[in-house]
Amino acid sequence: MKGRILVVDDDTALAEMIGIVLRSEGFEPVFCEDGDEALGAFRAAQPDLVLLDLMLPGKDGNEVCRLIRAESGVPIVMLTAKSDTVDVVLGLESGADDYISKPFKPKELVARVRARLRRSDEPAPEHLTIGDVSIDVPGHRVERAGRPVSLTPLEFDLLVALARKPWQVFTREVLLEKVWGYRHAADTRLVNVHVQRLRSKIEHDPEQPEIVVTVRGVGYKAGVTTP
Amino acid sequence: MPWLTAPAVRAGRAWRLVRARARRRLRGWRHAWRSSLQVRVITTTMAVGLVALMAVGAYVGERTQQGLFEGRVEQLLEESARSTRQAQETFSPSTATTGVEVRHLLEDVAKAQKAGGAGDREVFLLRAPGQTSSVSVASAASDKSLLGLVSTELAAATATGGQRWQSVEWPTGDGRSVPAVVVGQNVDVPVVGTYQLFFLYSLQAEQDRLDFLQRTFALAGAVLVVLLGTMTWIVTRQAVRPVRNAALVAERFADGHLSERMPVKGEDEMATLARSFNEMAESLQVQIRQLEELSTVQRRFVSDVSHELRTPLTTIRMAGEVIHASRDDFDPAVKRSAELLQTQLDRFEDLLADLLEISRFDAGAAVLDAESRDVRDVVLAATEHESALAERRGSWLSVSMPEQPCVADIDPRRVERVLRNLLVNAIEHAEGSAVVVTVGADAQAVAVSVRDQGVGMTAAEAEHVFDRFWRADPARARTTGGTGLGLAISLEDAHLHGGWLDAWGRPGRGAVFRLTLPRRAGIRLERSPLPLEPDEPAEQRPVGERPRTDPARVPVLPDELGRPRTGEMPVVSVASRPTDREERR
Repeated sequence: MKGRILVVDDDTALAEMIGIVLRSEGFEPVFCEDGDEALGAFRAAQPDLVLLDLMLPGKDGNEVCRLIRAESGVPIVMLTAKSDTVDVVLGLESGADDYISKPFKPKELVARVRARLRRSDEPAPEHLTIGDVSIDVPGHRVERAGRPVSLTPLEFDLLVALARKPWQVFTREVLLEKVWGYRHAADTRLVNVHVQRLRSKIEHDPEQPEIVVTVRGVGYKAGVTTP
Repeated sequence: MPWLTAPAVRAGRAWRLVRARARRRLRGWRHAWRSSLQVRVITTTMAVGLVALMAVGAYVGERTQQGLFEGRVEQLLEESARSTRQAQETFSPSTATTGVEVRHLLEDVAKAQKAGGAGDREVFLLRAPGQTSSVSVASAASDKSLLGLVSTELAAATATGGQRWQSVEWPTGDGRSVPAVVVGQNVDVPVVGTYQLFFLYSLQAEQDRLDFLQRTFALAGAVLVVLLGTMTWIVTRQAVRPVRNAALVAERFADGHLSERMPVKGEDEMATLARSFNEMAESLQVQIRQLEELSTVQRRFVSDVSHELRTPLTTIRMAGEVIHASRDDFDPAVKRSAELLQTQLDRFEDLLADLLEISRFDAGAAVLDAESRDVRDVVLAATEHESALAERRGSWLSVSMPEQPCVADIDPRRVERVLRNLLVNAIEHAEGSAVVVTVGADAQAVAVSVRDQGVGMTAAEAEHVFDRFWRADPARARTTGGTGLGLAISLEDAHLHGGWLDAWGRPGRGAVFRLTLPRRAGIRLERSPLPLEPDEPAEQRPVGERPRTDPARVPVLPDELGRPRTGEMPVVSVASRPTDREERR
């Protein structure tokens, strides 16, 4: 599946270069240079993925990210020059699915974009439950105690990965590979932040998680499945 | 038989306990003595005061006792002389002629004299020694049981004439005795010749008075000593408290509270001290502020430059990749240029990444993302990554580690980076010999040592390996693609964990790098579970000869390939990674 990609970056040279690379891979890039105009561009273009620079004139990347996330679950990948933990975590917490730190290689960019656009086609109807959370996999619907919960595709994938094998403890590295599609262990902070976000949506008390349980020193697993 | 020795053991334990407690208290005292001026001054003052009071007390007591005694004895001598004269006056006109009459006379006189004294006294009439009169009459006494108090020496002395006296102890019957004085003088008794009249006087009243005086004096002394201690305490407190406050302020200042100042009160010496201290603090604060600002500006500059360079570098990098991808369409010179551009961009990128990392450490912005991990897993991951490089360099990796997990609170990303830096460094310098990785652990720490048996380095060089951009051999450095910051970053990573990174090397014997990490945050490392210096004898290798690259022929590590042993694993090369990055030190 080739898609339309909104590139939000004020550095025109870099944006153009990204455009060349994306186009050569068969994607359709759309550009926006200003944070204030990003949301309008997003609404107009209806992209399948957003590449978002963190430092923008006008609204900064995190703000733009929050605004887009408020109305869409579209994959957002941040471009960041600062790989300091605080900046990355802040970006991920404002709703980004993934980030690439500058300088990156074209291959890396394309791989990340592909990984985020890849939506595995579910073969058979599948219904999973963890605790009182029920997941309709092909329908991309999640309900907690009968009330629908809205998850981004990435959060959904994370939940499904855990729910499919409730007996297994997943290390952060394994989750990175399964959900984000990385071959090499990259940054396990991605997993931490997204688990926090998932918990804030599906747990009754995110401080005392019952659905996504931390296994100290190892990783995460699904909570007890009640029949 | 243990049940027989048990009490002895118990007693021994109790004794040890007592001794330990005493030692602890002594230590506490010694500490107080050393650390507190106030304790020292008060103790000294009280000790000196006590000694002085005791000396004065002893002198005054002695004088009082003497005065009391002498006065009383003088009075008693007068009284007894008077009484003796009275008795003699009774005896002289007496008409008694028979022994019975004389005995009656003696008894009457004794009775009369006992009653006639001013106070409590006993009277004895004894026959003088050496009397030869034919008529003998028994002695007369008001209390015969006390006759023993008249010593023969006193009797003999009295016989020579005049008034004689002696101090004696008067038993009171309940086991105690009171001080007393016996006074004697000759009297002439009709018919029987010379008799001796003795008076026994009790000094109980004087003793009581003396006791009372001494008690009063001791009480006054004790009160005085306490008063002295209190006064000293108050006085020293006035002097010590400002000093103590000054020390506290100076300490807080030293801890980095640069705005800390001493309160200035009055015009005395302390106020002068406070003013001078505050002036010094002021000037120090200003200088430190300036230095801090300078270094902040510098650090921010490095960080900003690194960040600002990243965006254009990304564009160049992508453009380079695009050109590189289609290099086969160019003529050879352009093609080679595209390749050079590519590799040098990689190097540039590595350098920038390391520079940024170092600037992050310098700015104190590096954060430890610690989790509980088995260090062995991290070691395996790192060796797996670098085994391909080892293979290309004709070297190989050997890992030996304990069978039980070596869990520690570490930042796996940083530890793996350190290990990979050490491995790449060792492989680069191994010259085809083995690189031995050893993992060791004890209760406090986990250590990983990486040893190569290549060219090695001198001890002086080993001191500099962690310096930024430092190269042992400037000529060599250009062929290896390291940034020159790898080991410096590794050292910072180790320090961030509260751990150590040490280097050892000798020319011709290779080098050892040892990473020691505390098991948990807060553990202060005192020793490493692994030795830094290898304990095997120096390998005698002729200088100039290249080490063999055939693993099977290296004698030190016979079990290197294909034969897994417990606790030791051969590393099989895994999928290769992008090669350029591996060239980093």
